[in-house]
Amino acid sequence: MSAPVKDAPVASAAPAVKGPGARPAGYGLLRFGPASFLVHRRSVLAAAVLLLLLAAVSVAYLCVGEKTFSPGEVLTVLTGGDSPAAFVVEELREPRLVTALAVGAAFGIAGALIQTVARNPLASPDIIGVSQGAGAVTVAAMTFGLASYTVLPYLSVAGGVLAAALVHAFAWRGGLHATRFVLIGIGIAIALRSLITLFMTKGDYLVAQQAQIWMTGSLNGRGWEESAPVRWTLLLMLPAVLWAARAQRTVSLDDATATALGVRLGRVRLGLVAVGVVLASVATGVAGPVDFVALLAPQIARRVTRTAQIPLLCSALLGALVVVAADLIGRRLFSPVELPVGVLTAAVGAPYLIWLIVRSRTGGKA
Amino acid sequence: MSAETSAATGTGPGTAAGGRLAARGLTLAYESRTVVEDLDLVVPDGRVTVIVGPNACGKSTTLRALGRLLKPVRGAVLLDGEELAKLPTKRIARSIGLLPQTPVAPEAITVADLVARGRQPHQAWWKQWSEEDERAVTEAMARTDVAGLADRSVDELSGGQRQRVWIAMALAQETDLLLLDEPTTYLDIAHQVEVLDLVRRLNRARGRTVVLVLHDLNQAARYADHLIAMKAGRVVAQGAPSEIVTEAMVRDVFGLPSVVVPDPVTGSPLVVPGAPWEES
Repeated sequence: MSAPVKDAPVASAAPAVKGPGARPAGYGLLRFGPASFLVHRRSVLAAAVLLLLLAAVSVAYLCVGEKTFSPGEVLTVLTGGDSPAAFVVEELREPRLVTALAVGAAFGIAGALIQTVARNPLASPDIIGVSQGAGAVTVAAMTFGLASYTVLPYLSVAGGVLAAALVHAFAWRGGLHATRFVLIGIGIAIALRSLITLFMTKGDYLVAQQAQIWMTGSLNGRGWEESAPVRWTLLLMLPAVLWAARAQRTVSLDDATATALGVRLGRVRLGLVAVGVVLASVATGVAGPVDFVALLAPQIARRVTRTAQIPLLCSALLGALVVVAADLIGRRLFSPVELPVGVLTAAVGAPYLIWLIVRSRTGGKA
Repeated sequence: MSAETSAATGTGPGTAAGGRLAARGLTLAYESRTVVEDLDLVVPDGRVTVIVGPNACGKSTTLRALGRLLKPVRGAVLLDGEELAKLPTKRIARSIGLLPQTPVAPEAITVADLVARGRQPHQAWWKQWSEEDERAVTEAMARTDVAGLADRSVDELSGGQRQRVWIAMALAQETDLLLLDEPTTYLDIAHQVEVLDLVRRLNRARGRTVVLVLHDLNQAARYADHLIAMKAGRVVAQGAPSEIVTEAMVRDVFGLPSVVVPDPVTGSPLVVPGAPWEES
């Protein structure tokens, strides 16, 4: 953020045409030569605050455990200093923390994109069948003994994309109707869930138990190698995510208005959903369908930033924050017994979901 | 004001010759249900054209096709002689602005933010805001008198204010052609007049070509330079309102016996239902 964020309208504009609020209120302008970018100020502020929070929770995550270290010790390790805490922090907690961060960010962005396209906060990948598709293929692979943690993410993507394609095929009627899309997604999700149960009963007891834990969403035993797919996918998808942030501005309008503004709505939507589905599926492959993160993070982010569309960066940060915090609590709450991270995100998510629905009944738009 | 309206309804252009936007042999359908069949029309440049007709006659469908929201089954919509379906949608968006019947604003969006989104076809990913954008948005908001609402949330506006904001967004797009689908729906009569007066002023001040779909035949006759009457997916009559709004046309198109008298204010044809109300 090297260029100054200008407050006043472009200084060189003739005063005659300078009016109140010509630039959307709350936006700053970044200029780099001929390029110009609109920046939502409150979102930047929110992102900064979230980053600080995330840093604090991350340090706490590295400190707290069966052996607890002071923040000073952890910072010594992180800055490459010599410390007896080095092994536990660097080899055990840090890889798991990074996994939590990446998985949370991926779910946050995925939820934001799919909710934007469906114009419905319920349309998050764990509700409309994407996570279940990823899960069904993964559990099938586990049951038939085909999978290791390094292969699972790729199988998950196949499953997630397949489920999304299925939902799309059923929901498509010369156009994509948001409610129809969500309802069919929920139907597919239920069908896939029973398929998962079927696979689990077919497998042997130990595999079924392993699959059950995986289906809840767990970060247990996830190290550098296991989290590589989601980290790489996030990196590779970065340009697409930057494109998506801009595309959201028009996709969040109604179809006719967006089309009239020259947006190739069909393609743009497909692009946004594709990015979201891939991110959600990879994250599911790494940590299982960590419930409600993709649903919650974008909705909280939007309320925090007060933007007209769902903010991607803040959704990613909030997703990461929710997963890291939930895993931290899950590890410690009934220590030494560890709760899978998905249990905690669900425990927070379910009441939130109910609140969303109640609120939409009482007149507020969800 | 009266000069403006009398100019409109006086000797308007007949069936116009020159028009950038035209439809040729247009057949439109929703799935297998044909709504408009083999329709030809030319939108006269620099005029206010109003399409009227009974419910389900295909007037909104036609407008949607003129704005490439609906792909023709047969025939074509032509912009400067080129088929709309073959032009890049962004290029069309620099020539044709369209306001749908019930546009939906994202929750909690501010007025200025929404109007600014009208600049979309003039922007690129790396060029999100220019002085040109700034000028267009400021002008659009001033012209529709919504500058004072710039920081307000669209959700909390009245129907009339909201409609002006949407028109401002379409204006910010700075297109020569502007299509409005029943812009007066859900508005009370004062706001209806306000919106229609605004549309007339826009047309007069900038020579912008406007196509409106209206429900109310009298408003159509009062504000149109060029009136197109549709029935069952076909154009039944078109021309200056003073020439085509007759008792015979009203009976033919709407199936209503009527008396057509001059509007006491503007002199444009005023349709009064012909048979008195009777107890059955």
